[in-house]
Amino acid sequence: MSETFTKSMARNIFYGGAVFFFLLFLALTFDTVQTLPKRDHRENITASVVRGKHIWETRDCIGCHTILGEGAYFAPELGNVYKRRGGPFIKAWIQAQPTGVPGRRQMPQFNLTDQQLDDVVAFLKWTSEVNTNNWPPNIEG
Amino acid sequence: MKHRQPDDLSCEGRSRPSFFALNNSILTSNTSTSHEIHATPPGDLAIWFFIFAELLAFGIFFVAYAFARAHNVELFNESQQHLNRASGAINTLVLITSSYFMVRAVAAIKQGFSHECARWIAAAIGMGGIFLVIKLFEFHAKFSAGISLSTNTFYMFYLSLTIFHFMHVILGMVILSAVMLKAKGGGYSVENHTGVETGASYWHMVDLLWIILFPLVYVIH
Amino acid sequence: MQYQSQAVAKPYFIAAIGLFVGQILFGLIMGYQYVVGDFLFPAIPFNVARMVHTNLLIVWILFGFMGAAYYLIPEETETELFSPKLALLMFWVFLIAGALTIVGYLTVPYATLAKMTGNDILATMGREFLEQPLPTKVGIVIVALAFLFNISMTVLKGRKTSIALVLLLGLWGLAIFFLFSFYNPSNLVLDKYFWWWTVHLWVEGVWELILGAMLAFVLIKITGVDREVIEKWLYIIIAMTLITGIIGTGHHYFWIGTPSYWQWFGSVFSALEPIPFFMMTVFAFNMVNRRRREHPNKAATLWALGTGVMSFLGAGVWGFLHTLAPVNFYTHGTQITAAHGHMAFYGAYVMVNLTMISYAMPMLRGRSANSGPAQVMEMWSFWLMTVSIVFITLFLTAAGILQIWLQRMGTAPLGFMAAQDQIMLFYWMRELAGFVFLLGLVLYVWSFFCKKGEAQTA
Repeated sequence: MSETFTKSMARNIFYGGAVFFFLLFLALTFDTVQTLPKRDHRENITASVVRGKHIWETRDCIGCHTILGEGAYFAPELGNVYKRRGGPFIKAWIQAQPTGVPGRRQMPQFNLTDQQLDDVVAFLKWTSEVNTNNWPPNIEG
Repeated sequence: MKHRQPDDLSCEGRSRPSFFALNNSILTSNTSTSHEIHATPPGDLAIWFFIFAELLAFGIFFVAYAFARAHNVELFNESQQHLNRASGAINTLVLITSSYFMVRAVAAIKQGFSHECARWIAAAIGMGGIFLVIKLFEFHAKFSAGISLSTNTFYMFYLSLTIFHFMHVILGMVILSAVMLKAKGGGYSVENHTGVETGASYWHMVDLLWIILFPLVYVIH
Repeated sequence: MQYQSQAVAKPYFIAAIGLFVGQILFGLIMGYQYVVGDFLFPAIPFNVARMVHTNLLIVWILFGFMGAAYYLIPEETETELFSPKLALLMFWVFLIAGALTIVGYLTVPYATLAKMTGNDILATMGREFLEQPLPTKVGIVIVALAFLFNISMTVLKGRKTSIALVLLLGLWGLAIFFLFSFYNPSNLVLDKYFWWWTVHLWVEGVWELILGAMLAFVLIKITGVDREVIEKWLYIIIAMTLITGIIGTGHHYFWIGTPSYWQWFGSVFSALEPIPFFMMTVFAFNMVNRRRREHPNKAATLWALGTGVMSFLGAGVWGFLHTLAPVNFYTHGTQITAAHGHMAFYGAYVMVNLTMISYAMPMLRGRSANSGPAQVMEMWSFWLMTVSIVFITLFLTAAGILQIWLQRMGTAPLGFMAAQDQIMLFYWMRELAGFVFLLGLVLYVWSFFCKKGEAQTA
């Protein structure tokens, strides 16, 4: 005998579906975490790279820039800036901010030491070598 | 055929001769007393929306598989050779058999034989269990050989489709277990066995998906 | 209002709207910085304005959710709130912590703020939407736990309706997924993977449960449609939310270093994420059409219907447009993202909160609806804000398409800054639309103080 929709059937589908897909997500997460070492070249996460990420965070670079496409859209993508500009340019650029060009978007001066600048470069270099499935489409990010 | 007493011995709904009760239960809805053919499929309507969504999801995956295959014919053909067709074929028979058991289960409850119904459901669940065991051996063989979702596109599809389906078999068994327990406890009757039909419909869907999946992924080259 | 303790919702709603105004003011600052790049530099650099804008958004929406819960849970569970005092205390804790955080962002260089607030103990700062100092994050957890305790105890001692249970589940989920904000590994890929467990599983996961429950509650009240019908649809909608949205998380895992199978899974499942929003729209219109009473609060009805439509358009349609991996390859991290984000957030979470406030505030002030003139003003604010958001989205979409064409395609792509120069016109138009939005918001606030006409007690 048919009954039209019951609330309890809808509720069961909700709970069943949620549990089912959460378990599946956990399984995929497990596989992802297992597979990551082949893609993130973590053997190259040196102390300098770790410090560089910390500087990246404590100056809130992501508040203006994107990295691997995530962040703010005010300033250029930096996931591949190491490939686009190279280490020395990146250091010089950061040291030279703000440009002071009237009307141009401005970047603060962070007064980083030479060591800190090297760390930031190391972090950006590491990032540029992560296997991102060939993203971004070109060197401009 | 020996005439058996239905397990549901309650007085409810037993005032009419069993022939009319059977007719009414098949042809009419709960609320109407007319004899028109019922417009909705068996079981709770909600499960049919769910089944439709499931078929859609798998359908999209099958189409994606076909698309990926068209772009990687050689890779797919080569990798496919390594699949265990024998275990896939056996599993196909296992699921078809379990679907047959569910047909028997629904037929049993339609005559009010809830204990027999429960036994047929148990048999269907058992066949589901066999399916899972055979699949586990198959997965173990692949994983031990170092094959994973990231090995190549074919294996990505093979593993994800079969694991996704595997999880649906488990879900189906959970649903059937709930139905079986209720049947055993006399919770269904001739007039009221929507749950059994709902569970059976879902199980048939799981079977149908495998019947498409097996030739598509294991055989066609 | 039926229960005395529902009154604690009022300060939460007032704070929500106040913070909303702050959010928009900073949004206008950012929009202007897009076109006059050195506006307010170095006093308020863009990234500082942005963290104020986004953090205010999240905090005011949370205030809204909490107010909504304090209002609807006693009514649903048919019992007074477990501890109104705790609710009021937490209100002040949250408000003061939030205010201090915003002041911190504005007055102290971020690196200094990090040092001062113990970021060296556990580094959780410097990630998008999670810029809060460690003490603030801990404070959020404490406030959330106290709030959940209060609400859960109320549900435990009262009638357990589906709406109450779904809301509770959504709110617990919100708290649990926030805990991932404390996990910040040195491996950027892992960092990003689990960052989305907070962000995606919030806005495309448990927050939708909260939205569904709030909408269902308001619809029951204003249409009088049978609870069983509305709650059944609520379950179907949230079932589709999680069925599509959990694996749909994968649409953030295309290009961040995670395996490529996510391009398949994320595309397929996230492409289906519009379905629950479509159902919500159909559901809302259907319930209003089948209504059994003419509720005097027309404004709330308008907000409820608008929430369905705008969340479907912003989250569903605009989301769909850039969710498939082959498309996303080009649109990832562009103005397309910003376009979608604005309409999605407005359509879903801003509007559901405004729906709730529109319904509940009059009740909290002792009437079933505001006067005719006040409602008219509120409905004007609805249209001004909604239409201007549509235009903001359209302008940013156009900007994004052009940006992608210039910067990411062709044989002689422009650099980022050069491409930005080419799309300035759209940014000017966006800013103009932003001012219209502000006008709508001002009208909205004003409508609470409109003394003309008589309040309706029908």
